[in-house]
Amino acid sequence: MLKKVRGAWLFFLCISLSAYAAEPESEALKDLRLLVEKHCVSCHKESKMEGGVQLDGIDSEGRITRAGHLWMKALKQVQAGEMPPQSEPPMSMDDQARFIKSINEILAKALKEGAGNPGRVVARRLSHDEYRYSVLSLTGVDFDAKAYFPADGSGGAGFDNFARTMFLTPLKMERYYEAAETILDKAYSDKKVWRQLVPNPYKESWWQAFVNWFLRLFSDYSSSDKAVTEAEKVIVPFASKAYRRFLKPEEKEPLLDLFRKVYEGTEDETRYDIALKETFKTVLLSPKFLYRIEDEQPLGQPFALSNFELANRLSYFLWSTLPDQELFEVAYRENLHNPAVLNKQVKRMLRDPKAKRFSESFATQWFGISKLKDNSPVDPERYPEFTPSLRKAMYQEMVEYFHHVLTSSHNFLDLIDSDYTFLNEELAKHYGIAGVEGEQMRKVPLQDRTRGGVLGMGSVLTATSLPIRTSPVLRGKWVLEEILGTPAPPPPPDAGQLPEQEAAAENASIRDLLVLHRSKPDCMSCHKKMDPVGFGLENFDAVGRWRTSYGDQPIVAWDTLPSGEIFRGPAELKKILLTKEENFARVLAEKMFTYSIGRSVEFIDEPYMKGLVDNLLENDFHTEKFIIELVNSYPFRYKVNDGTDKFKSITKK
Amino acid sequence: MSKWHISRRRMLKGLGACIALPFLQAMVPPGKSIYTMPKKPLRFAFLYVPNGVHPDMWTPAQTGRNFELSPILQPLTKVKDDILVLNELTNKYSNFPGADGHYAKTANILTSLPIYKTTGDNLDSGGISLDQIIAKHKGQETVFDSLQYGLEQISPGIDTNVGFTRLYGCNISWKTPSMPCSKEIEPRMAFDRLFRSVLPNTKPKNDPWKQSVLDIVKEDTDALQRKLGRSDQDKLEEYLESIRSVEKRIDNEEQIKAFKHQITPELQKELVHLNMRIEEAEMYLGTDITEKTRQMLDIMALAFWSDATRVSTFMFGNSVSNRNFSFLEGVHGSHHQISHHQNNLDVLEQYKRINQWHVGQYAYLLERLKSFPEGEGNVLDNCMIMYSSELRDGNRHSPYNLPVVVGGKGGGMLKTGQNLQFEKNTPLSNLYLSMMRILDIPLECFADSTGELSEIYA
Repeated sequence: MLKKVRGAWLFFLCISLSAYAAEPESEALKDLRLLVEKHCVSCHKESKMEGGVQLDGIDSEGRITRAGHLWMKALKQVQAGEMPPQSEPPMSMDDQARFIKSINEILAKALKEGAGNPGRVVARRLSHDEYRYSVLSLTGVDFDAKAYFPADGSGGAGFDNFARTMFLTPLKMERYYEAAETILDKAYSDKKVWRQLVPNPYKESWWQAFVNWFLRLFSDYSSSDKAVTEAEKVIVPFASKAYRRFLKPEEKEPLLDLFRKVYEGTEDETRYDIALKETFKTVLLSPKFLYRIEDEQPLGQPFALSNFELANRLSYFLWSTLPDQELFEVAYRENLHNPAVLNKQVKRMLRDPKAKRFSESFATQWFGISKLKDNSPVDPERYPEFTPSLRKAMYQEMVEYFHHVLTSSHNFLDLIDSDYTFLNEELAKHYGIAGVEGEQMRKVPLQDRTRGGVLGMGSVLTATSLPIRTSPVLRGKWVLEEILGTPAPPPPPDAGQLPEQEAAAENASIRDLLVLHRSKPDCMSCHKKMDPVGFGLENFDAVGRWRTSYGDQPIVAWDTLPSGEIFRGPAELKKILLTKEENFARVLAEKMFTYSIGRSVEFIDEPYMKGLVDNLLENDFHTEKFIIELVNSYPFRYKVNDGTDKFKSITKK
Repeated sequence: MSKWHISRRRMLKGLGACIALPFLQAMVPPGKSIYTMPKKPLRFAFLYVPNGVHPDMWTPAQTGRNFELSPILQPLTKVKDDILVLNELTNKYSNFPGADGHYAKTANILTSLPIYKTTGDNLDSGGISLDQIIAKHKGQETVFDSLQYGLEQISPGIDTNVGFTRLYGCNISWKTPSMPCSKEIEPRMAFDRLFRSVLPNTKPKNDPWKQSVLDIVKEDTDALQRKLGRSDQDKLEEYLESIRSVEKRIDNEEQIKAFKHQITPELQKELVHLNMRIEEAEMYLGTDITEKTRQMLDIMALAFWSDATRVSTFMFGNSVSNRNFSFLEGVHGSHHQISHHQNNLDVLEQYKRINQWHVGQYAYLLERLKSFPEGEGNVLDNCMIMYSSELRDGNRHSPYNLPVVVGGKGGGMLKTGQNLQFEKNTPLSNLYLSMMRILDIPLECFADSTGELSEIYA
């Protein structure tokens, strides 16, 4: 059936494509194509794709729009004179102006046409964390879902709650089934937990049992009616909570039928509980629980999410779980689309301890340290002091720090630089900071500016190192990608890396070895961007300790960025990074947009992205104001029909 | 009892092996039921090694039957007559502009088609992977149509540098071009899923309501699907598919009976032993990677012997794996790092040792399979256990002349004990096509294949 539908779309696609071909080309497109062919395609063609970039074959404006971000980058580089590179014939002033003008024209037109399109995200399966916390909210059982389910991959901006990279394979389904059993067995075995779920236990008295038996002799009287009536009072709220909306009458019946079937089919005095367990299990396995489903509306234009759907987006964004009683009530009684109502909830939710789940999930994935939670990337022989407890403290430092920024300091720029961090005794010793005692993580003021911020955190410094040594290249690459949002292009195939042992030798200066390799022209253009940043962090060893020399060679942590700034040591490097706040704002906006909505940022989202970036720049990176801007944004609160979406994108080609 | 009897082979000969033949009752020898007949199913497995090999230490010097194992292949001494070393095979579509790094060469190692470059939207491996095609054809007779194993969790995040989601480097089995199979990485869980129910003194799990529960959620899904858009429907179709395969596990009484029948006392002894080893490792050993690898491979071997499945893949690591190999003598550092040896002799030596370790585990699997008797031979005789990497030389990310070994006699259809030299850039898919032929799955071509490798046939 589905295949047929797909076939029909394909057919439709062909028709619309040929229909499009008849339309005359715009001047801008013609102009741009000529210029691209003249200046760009000798390197950026399909068969060569220098730097992974392909610019040839622009047969329609749609093709440019779909790769809008790439063309924006091209535009910037041409504007800055970085492209074409010095080794190629330069662009005349006139060509340059026409190049910029035509791209601008095409992209602006597309934005105008795409305005008012909030995009859409496919039904998202609960991520493993979301499953864990939803189950906790629902049943009171803490189930370690990540250890039990096969891992998901990440997509979009690198988060594991990305709709399109979460699958449900047969193996996962088996595990969901077993998980539901385990969870309910656990709930049942703990009287207190079970009482929460089933406040009024029902039991047939022996007299009732006798009467039932007697009545059954003479009629088709069903002895389970009373039990079902009692059970309904438990099942309906449970399922409503699990499905995160009111249960519909047609959904209630099958659940009650199942309850009755199990109840009547079980010869056991705990049959009421057994029947409830089976019914709850069904709820935990239902796609309405496992997926965040948003109804489709038969409209030709974007539509607002229902109140419950919006509450769900909000709740999974900030709490990784289903809405609590208050949010549920608000969604029922008030209009969540009203900014005053919405903002009040956001503020309340950020203050709730559950918001720390967001801090953990978002920060550890953004800064690439989630792997530290369960595994050590460090060579245990080389660094025996890197104990599991130290690793956990490092991980926790990030979580506590981010959460403090989010809810107390209210300034995202603290992520780059601050005069405090979060430590316990072991981690403080590791950093060489005195006066911190005990296992508890706490906020500690710092004497200087070397540590404060994510760049000085043991977790980040370890995750961007190799098992036995530091790698300035990896650290530089990390800063370019995660802080500045300007990733370097991929290395040429035979670039090679530093030989491990030489570089790890106590007195080897990695700088000398790298300078050698930076002298190759192929490598230079990118490494001159990555390496200096990495050198600025060389005072931190492969597990994040402070050091001033490699063996007997002093560390020279000063360098010049390609943009000309000179710095000495991490503190000055961070100062320079702070001046690039626009870059950082953009990265932050993209990351959080993707995390909260579950889809990639597309070119037509640019107006919203601009809104988010401006919000940060205008409000000193205020955390709460930013999140309020995000949840009030059109893509967060609206979506567009699948059909319409398809139709539009197809006709646009 | 059947009154007349024809051998399957004779029937195949008569038909010129041009059609895939259903298993007919008439082929069961007289006096035997379908369960007691010593049938010898063919098994296929693919073992993936990340980060390539030392390019000069892999290929044996001599070709043909009289060859000496190369330094990296040394561990295969005991099974030298059961393997084929195949040279100059290349996965053509792993090399396209923009296919920088490892990902585009890993995700498609069994699909032989180019993958779509993406950080997550529109994931596409090019096609259904070879193992899954085999599973579709051959997996229906067993409890599990296929098993996917590995040692490392899917790497989190995306690789902004080259523009791929790391998911691509962590999956080689693709159920559909846009959906990878989940792989198991914990011996305990993998073992329990297959064998828990046939260990001595375990009570069968009583779950009389499973089907009723599944029926309701299926109805739920149907009702939902009718109201949703296309891509949401696809997501739920995925859900339904998974439910159906769980159901199959309940319904397939015949398969389950056949499987239980396979659990001979010898096999059960092996199971009990392995179960104990896994328990011990959980308690004392922590993360001895060699032992963990062997446990996973043992599970795979026993799954083949017990006919729980006939198709499996195994990933020694995700591509770009930076597993720390300092536990090997003379090795200081991690896998991916060392694979970029820059032709430094000392680093190359370490690279070689890491390669040898992997081949050693492969040899362990082959020897295990060989030790299991089956019919007049052993299980390995009825296997094709392929071993390869996404790269030749890790330093240059070179996808040409991949390191390929096939172990097992393919039910007597493979002429093992040879080192074969093919023409430069022979499609890897030619090998796949040949294996499909042996498995009795008639296909005209597979991805970029240009023909079969007739030299490997017996």
